[in-house]
This record gives sequence, C-alpha cells and structure tokens, in this order.
Amino acid sequence: MTIRQLVTRVARDALADPVEGAPPVEFTVAPHTPDDAAAVLRIAAEHRMRVLFWGGGTHQRMGFDVEPDILVTSSALNQVVDWQHEDLTVVVQAGVIASYLETRLEERDQTAVLPETASGATIGGVVATGVSGWRRLRYGPTRDRMLEVRLATGDGRLIRGGGRVVKNVTGYDLPRLATGSFGSLGMITEMCLKLWPLATEQAMVAVTDPVAALRSAYRPLAVIETNRHSHVYLAGTAAELEAQAERVGGKLAYGHRWPDPLGGAIRLVMRMPPGHTVAGVEMVRELGAEYQAAHGVGEIRLAADSFDLAELEMFRKKVEAAGGAVVVEAAPAGFTFDPWGTPPDSVGLQRRVKAAFDPVGVANPGILPGGV
Amino acid sequence: MSLVDELQAILGPDRVHSHPLELFVYNKDAGVTRGELVAAVLPETTQEVAACVRVARAHGVPVVARGAGTGLAGGAVPTEPAILVVLTRINDISDVDSDGRTAWVGPGVLNLDLSRAVDHLGLHYAPDPSSQAACTIGGNVGTNAGGPHCLAEGTTVAHILGVEMVTAEGDVVTLGGAAPDPLGLDLRGVVVGSEGTLGIVTRVLVKLTENPPAVRTILVTFDSIQAAAATVSNTIGAGIVPAALEMMDQPMVIAVENFVHGNLPVDAAVILLAEVVGLEAGVVAETALFEQIATQAGATSVRVAADEEERALLWKARKNAFGAVAQAAPDYYLHDTVVPRTRLVEVMTKIYEVGDRYGLEMLNVFHAGDGNLHPLVAFNAREPGMSERVRQAAEEMVKISVEVGGSLTGEHGVGLEKRDLMGLVFDPIDLDAQARLREAFDPAGVLNPGKILPMGSRCYDYGMTTLPETENV
Repeated sequence: MTIRQLVTRVARDALADPVEGAPPVEFTVAPHTPDDAAAVLRIAAEHRMRVLFWGGGTHQRMGFDVEPDILVTSSALNQVVDWQHEDLTVVVQAGVIASYLETRLEERDQTAVLPETASGATIGGVVATGVSGWRRLRYGPTRDRMLEVRLATGDGRLIRGGGRVVKNVTGYDLPRLATGSFGSLGMITEMCLKLWPLATEQAMVAVTDPVAALRSAYRPLAVIETNRHSHVYLAGTAAELEAQAERVGGKLAYGHRWPDPLGGAIRLVMRMPPGHTVAGVEMVRELGAEYQAAHGVGEIRLAADSFDLAELEMFRKKVEAAGGAVVVEAAPAGFTFDPWGTPPDSVGLQRRVKAAFDPVGVANPGILPGGV
Repeated sequence: MSLVDELQAILGPDRVHSHPLELFVYNKDAGVTRGELVAAVLPETTQEVAACVRVARAHGVPVVARGAGTGLAGGAVPTEPAILVVLTRINDISDVDSDGRTAWVGPGVLNLDLSRAVDHLGLHYAPDPSSQAACTIGGNVGTNAGGPHCLAEGTTVAHILGVEMVTAEGDVVTLGGAAPDPLGLDLRGVVVGSEGTLGIVTRVLVKLTENPPAVRTILVTFDSIQAAAATVSNTIGAGIVPAALEMMDQPMVIAVENFVHGNLPVDAAVILLAEVVGLEAGVVAETALFEQIATQAGATSVRVAADEEERALLWKARKNAFGAVAQAAPDYYLHDTVVPRTRLVEVMTKIYEVGDRYGLEMLNVFHAGDGNLHPLVAFNAREPGMSERVRQAAEEMVKISVEVGGSLTGEHGVGLEKRDLMGLVFDPIDLDAQARLREAFDPAGVLNPGKILPMGSRCYDYGMTTLPETENV
C-alpha cells in the first residue's frame, strides 16, 4: 500500500487537488475533521514525511522554506462550530476565512478583532502566524483572544488545551503557545475565540502629530502613520467620539478606512518596543520604503520593489540593537535576506518544546527562527 | 559539604533558613496544606537564584518558588522535601518607560505597590487580585492571577510582555520582550500561569495601562440571584463590557458589613458591584444603560458612588470579603470555577442546592462578569466529619461547573488542590501533551514537582488507537 493509499484509508475523501501557488509536493490532503488531520499526521510522522500546512496562502512567504513532501490544507475544515453570542465566544475551524467570520460577527455587533485587511486569510492562518490587526492597540494581540485550541500534533495526536470560558488557568496555556507557532507543533484544527462587542459608531481623525495624538486620545483603536498622513481610529458613542476629537484636536470623519495593504514585491514587518516607534519610522524613512506605522504598538509595515541587501542588513542591525526585529512577510523567490534575523536566546528551549509535540520533526520543520 | 552549607556559601547564613521553627513560617500558603522543607532561601539577584537551583539540582532536591504565599491552591507548598526560593527580596521597579508604557520589575514587588509607583505617570498595572496589597507580581505571574478588573483588561498574561527566568538547569534565559510578537514560540505565554514548574521568574516586563479619565462605581441590589445573573447576562449581551462586574450574596454582604462598616445593603438577597470607566461622555451613557438593564431585570435599588471616598469604600468591601469570613468560621474552603456567563443562573441554583443538602454555611462573592464563581464554604474543621462533608460538596460543585462546559480554576491555579480533578476537564491525551511540555522545560523534574498534573499524566499510550497496517508500505 502506498502512503497516499494509507492516507485515504484513515481520512475519507481527504486527497485534494494541488493548491495553486504551493511548492511541489507528492500529494495534497484536505482533512474533513480534526481527527482526520491527526490521522494524516500520524502517517506522516511514521514515514518521516515533511508536512507543509496551508490556510489561505497569504503568509506562506514567512519563515524559512519547509521543502515539504506533502501539503495539508485546512480548506475542508471550514465550519463555524458554535457561536455563543451572549457569552462573547465563538468556536471555529481553522479553514474559515477570517473576513467571512468577521462579516458574520459584525451582523450581530461583535468582532473577533481579526486583521482588518486580511483578504483570503483563514482563521487558522491568522492564529498560526500570530498576526494581529491594527486594533491591537485597544484590544491586544490575536493571542489574547485564544481561549481554546485543538491541535493535531506533529506525531498525530489530537489534543485540546484551554477551554471555552473567558477566564481560565486550568493547565498550561496551550492556546497561546499555538498562536504564532507557524505549524511547528502541528496543525491548529479548531479554536475558541473571545469576542468583543462592536461600538455603535466608528470614526477617524486626521492628525499631524501621531505621538501627541496617542497621548491625548483615550485608548484609541489605532494610531497609524503612513508616508502621506496620520490618523487616529476611534470607536464609541457619538458623544464619546466628539469628546475624543476634542482631545485630539481634529475633525471626525465617520467610518473606518484602514490602510490598503502595502504593494511592493518585498514586504517587511519591523517590530519595535512601542516607545521606539518614532525612531523606527526615522530608520524606515532613511531606507526610503513605503510604510505604515502603528504608534503605541511598535509595529511598522514596510515595502518596496527592491532593497539594497547591505543597507537592509545595516537596518536590521540597528533595529535589533534597539530591542526590535525585522521579519520578512513576503518576497520573491531568491530573496536572500534572512526571514527572521537573529534568533532569540531561548532557541534551545524552543527546540525542545517543538519536539514535545513533534518528536520526529515533520510539522513545518525548520520554519521558525534558528531553524526550529 | 551539606546542601544547607552550600546554600549558605552562596547567600550567607542570614538568608538561608533551615531551623524547623523558621521553616514552619514558610511551609504553607494561604490554603490549608503544609509541606516539608529542607531550607528556605532569600536570594536578592538572578544569579543567586540560578546558583541555588544548581546546588539543589546537584543534591537531587526539588526547588519550589514562592512569592508572598497568598496562594490558595497549594502551588507554593512542596509535595516532597524541597528548597523554597522566596523571591520577595527581588523587588525593584526599574526601566519605567512612560511612552512605551512598560516597566521591568522584580518578582517580589507587591501588586499594589507597582500601581502606586507609576500612578504619577497616569498609569497603573491592570490585574488587581483581591490580595493585591499583599501578593507579589512574581506570584501573579505564577498563577496567571485575575481580579475584578480583568473582565475588560484580561488576566495577568495579557499584561506580561516578557520574563527573565532561571531554568531547571540553572541557566538564565529571557522570554518575550517589549517589541510586539517576539520571534519564535511564545514561551512567555506558557510560563505565565505555570506555577513555577517551567522555570523561576526573576524579572518581569509588565505592560502598564492608562488611568481612565472618568469612573462610575454602581451598587445594585436584587431580590434574587436570578435577577442579578440576568443583569450580568443582559449587560454583556447588550454590548457593554464593564471594567468590573462583581456579585455578592446576602450572607457575604452581612459578613463584609460587620467587617468594614460600609453601610452596605444587608437586607438585599444579592448585590452587584459594577464599574464603568472611560471618557466622561461614555461613562455617563454606559451607567444609564446599565441602570436600565438592571431595573428591567428587577433591581430593587441602584446607587452610584457619589465620590472617590464612597467608591474606595465599596471596593474595600469587595476586596476584604475573604478576610471578613474569618469572623464567621475558623476555616473556609474557596472555589474558583468558571462557567459560561449564560449559564450563571442555572449553575448558582444548583450550587445553592448542594450547600443546602450538605447543610453547609456558604457565602458567595465572585467575578460574575467573567463567570468566575467563588462559592466559599465556612466551617469548623474540628467538627467531626465536617471536613469530609466539605470535600464531598466541593467535588459536586466542581462537577456542576464542568458539566456546563466550565473549567476548574479561573485565577487561583491548579496547584495541589485541583491537580487530581484535571481529569474532569482533560482527556489523558491532553494531560500527556501538557506533561511533555513540562518535560521539555524540566526533564529531571526539579521544579515544583507534583503540581498541576496528576500522577501518571505522562504515560498515555496513544499507540493503542487503531490504524491500518503499515507493513506493506
């Protein structure tokens, strides 16, 4: 029996067509249930086949190349399992498209605070890459919404961590560990997210000094500076918004218009201690890139069609010296700039933690900093 | 050299306690269980902690970290003779960054002292356990502590950006940092709440939160728990997440009133203490909406604290509840389960039934907005058979919470107390994964052994599941 046949025996109808844009693999699997995902990984582990996980494919250029034997996509894990509106929680499978979920939640005035412009990204992908939306200034990063996770581990066990309640310290915080794990522990198949009520009104105020605006606004959703302009993003009742505009010293424009994702063949994310955002913006200007900076958060997205590699290395050195990092979000093949930069000093510990979930090393092997 | 001699060589004789009388002070937390200690040590630097861990390890003696000992679940009570590393002396607040709203602090800093130290900058540290005047940040990190204001702000883990930690090998490692999304696996997130089983945290990078420009604290009385619980559900359902939403039943209100003399409504069956914060305009609107929801649900009175003094008094009443119980009975047993907020009425009704059936004196004060219940059973352990009755009732109450999809503990931690109940919420395969995670940090089992996970968690045999034959491949 071939491995492909084995897979069809443990996971019914799971063999799928190749995914567009994916690297070449022996075959592609789309499990229909979390159990099937675990069974497929079990076979992969037994036969030492390297697995690449795939969601919407929007962030596949992050991290080191995996060089996979098989690809496992979450496309058939696409159910909204349980939405407890009154309890502000939702259970979703990994393949649900983030913008689809947000649209549904917004119809009943709630939000999971997922990235605002993540066209095509899946919830599983958002969680696995640990990316957050602009509103993290107010609501915290994506990982703060992870209440429960079901993970098909690299050796094919389907495990659950956390719980479907908004406050919980029962056992180790596996939901947070899974967030940003880039598939290195296995496949995130299902999760419970904490939701927030949507405010009645939304507005933005154009400002000239984003730093002053961050200080004067009371807990805005975001303060974003780009090459062209700066805006404070607000939410609340009409009266609250008026009060905010007065504090900031500007005019309200109702509704939110989030910055369009940056163009450019090469997209980088710079992560600075929030107090160093201004210094970060200065460094990016010297580099001559397009940028979108989240004040108060320290995240600066930047893009260009090409960079001088030597200049980029210098730039990274300065950022890292300030306690930050420069991470590659998207780049054409052959771009040789290290996707992560200097690995953290906990890399040995990280390797051991990965091995606890993926002892054979088949789950997105080597994708993390330090080749973990 | 003996173990104690070696420890004294590192710390000097004054900071190593080994006399049984001295150890009696350290061998328990605020719960009921006592453990056995070889020595209690009081390091003042990270390097001293690391040196103590290496010495203990060389002697094959486990190491247990401890803050102020205000824990209730036995997390800092050794299960076998151990070295207790008391971290209260590492208590400096440094590198306060008012623009970035962060600070590095020692684990021994008291929770309330941290908020006081940054108040002049218009900032505070958001998680506020009731014991905040006594508990340490290190202990808060260990248990992933909560508090009334975690409803809107999240528990400790949402406020810890990084930690410096001594590993089981006695090495020093930094996890996380001020920049968003530190590279690699989020080990910081998993160390928070790990009760000293993954490492000993020696420095903490905390996130500070802006003080709100306006605050309203509202006291509402009800005839029934159902009406109060409906107010909680309807408030959350209406799209309001107040800063805090706390419930107290009549027996608890009476106990607290006798203690703090706050002119509390002792005639009410149950009270809700709510707080809304934000801009004045928003606070006014939310207070009005909350009043309306409460009135519709059957509130018998609504009182908004007139000034800061009254507000402080109401919070004093709430946060002194457990101290007040000491007047009612010599011993108490406190639960910490969490249930979905929509199931509050149903669960509370059943919990009262259990209390009645066992003839127990029960008082309730809890974080209603989070669904985090704290039924407190006041009893006298000297009464024959009483402890057993309390234990049996406790198990029933936990099961009631778990049956509706709840969890064992919302903020106190698993420790010893709930360790053997973990099987109620997790399958063996889940517990095995947690045990593997712990082993990755501490293969030799040096750090706080016997906590969180029940014995035998690591021997789940997943190979028993049936898979197709693979010989022909």
